[in-house]
Amino acid sequence: MVEFEPKILAFCCNWCSYRGADLAGISRIKYPPNVRIIRVMCSGRVEPEFVVKALSSGADGVLVLGCHIGDCHYIYGNHRTAKRMAILQRLLGYLGIEPSRLRLEWVSAAEGSRFSKIVTEFTSEIKRLGPNPLKNITLQNPTILRDEKR
Amino acid sequence: MIGNIRDLARKWLEDKEVDAIFALREQNGYLAPYLFTNVDKLGSMEISTQYRLSYTCRPSKENILSLMQRKEPSTRIGIVARGCEERALIELAKRSQIDLGKTKIMGIACTQEEAIECKCERPYPDNLVLGQKVEGVSQDENVDALLNKSITERLAFWRYQFSKCIKCYGCRNACPMCFCKDCKMEQGVFTETGWLPPEIPMFLFIRFSHISERCIWCGECEKACPVDIPLLTLFKLLRRDIKDLFDYEAGMDMTQEAPLLTTLDEMPMKEELASGI
Repeated sequence: MVEFEPKILAFCCNWCSYRGADLAGISRIKYPPNVRIIRVMCSGRVEPEFVVKALSSGADGVLVLGCHIGDCHYIYGNHRTAKRMAILQRLLGYLGIEPSRLRLEWVSAAEGSRFSKIVTEFTSEIKRLGPNPLKNITLQNPTILRDEKR
Repeated sequence: MIGNIRDLARKWLEDKEVDAIFALREQNGYLAPYLFTNVDKLGSMEISTQYRLSYTCRPSKENILSLMQRKEPSTRIGIVARGCEERALIELAKRSQIDLGKTKIMGIACTQEEAIECKCERPYPDNLVLGQKVEGVSQDENVDALLNKSITERLAFWRYQFSKCIKCYGCRNACPMCFCKDCKMEQGVFTETGWLPPEIPMFLFIRFSHISERCIWCGECEKACPVDIPLLTLFKLLRRDIKDLFDYEAGMDMTQEAPLLTTLDEMPMKEELASGI
C-alpha cells in the first residue's frame, strides 16, 4: 500500500515567512515536498474562511506563517492573526475537524532552518492524523445527504 | 409589569427626559415596533419575548434604531430593552452602529419562565429599571451533548445539521449583530451560489467566524431557523472560549473593546491556552 502523502497548504507572509522559505531553498535545506506555499502580504490577511476553504477543497493541513510578534511589517497585523487563529482552532474542534490540522507559527526571514523544521514536523503530524474527513463531505453530491437520518 | 412600563414611559415623556419611546405596539392583534411620542397612545404599548427591537430591518440591512438615529440625529430615544437587547445595543454602539449617548435604556428583567424558554444565561440587563432579577439557566443539554461527542461524531452531527439548511438567510437577518451591507454569504467567493444545501460547512461557518466574538447569545438565529439547526450551541461554546482566552464578554462593558479589533498589547491573550485545545 502506498503511504498517505498529505497535501499541506502554507500561507506565508511576504516580509518574513516567505523570505524564510526562500532562504531554506537557497541554503539547500531539505523539507517535505507536501507543502504548497501561498504568499500573502501579511498573516493578518488570512481569514478563517481561507482555512476552511482550503480544508474543504482537499488540503489535509493548513500552516499559517507570519512574522514574530513585534516584527510585523504592518505593526499589528500578526496580533490579529494570533487571536483569530486561536478562536478558529476551537471552532474547528467543535465542528469536528481536528484542531491540529491548523497550525500558526512565526518564522522570520533569517529562519530558513526553522521553516524546514516546522514543515517536517507538521507533515508527520498530518500523516499521523490521516486524510482530512471534510474533503469527502464537500466533494459528495449534496443531495445524497438529505436522505440520511442521524 | 406592562402597567409599570407604561407608567414609567409616560413619566419619561412628560418630564421631557426623552423625545420618544421605542417599544412594541399592538395593532389589530399584531405586534410591531413603534415610536411613541404621544402619551395618549401609550395604552397600546406591549412587551413580548417573540419580537426583539434589535431585529434588523431589510433590505437596507440596517437596525431600526440606527436608521432612526441617522434620519433624526438630535432625537433622544428611550428604549424598552430586555437583557439580550441591552447587550445588543451596547455591542452595536461599540461598533459605531448606534449612539448610546442619545438613548436612555429602560431595562426590564425577564421572568423565570421566559428565561427557561430562551435557555438564557443572563435574563436581566445591567441597567435594571423594572422587574425582579431572576437566575439564568446555566445548563444547556445541546452544549453538553456536543462536548460528549468524539471528533468524528461531531463532524457527522454537523454534516447532518448543515445539510438541512435551505439557505433562507433567516439566521443572518434575525441576528442583531449582522449589519454588514455586503454579506459574504451572498457572494460567490467562498460558497458556490445556486446549490442546496449550501456548501458544508462553509456557508454557516462564515457566520460562526464573523459573529464569534460579538455574539450576545440572544438566540434569535436559532429561533429564526425553520429547519432547527442548533446554531446557538456553537455560539455558546465560542463565548466560553473567548471568556477564557481574553476575559471578554460581548455586550457587557461599554469601555471594553472587542478582542479581535484590538492588539495583543491592548487586550492580551492567555498564551498557555492559545495553541492547544
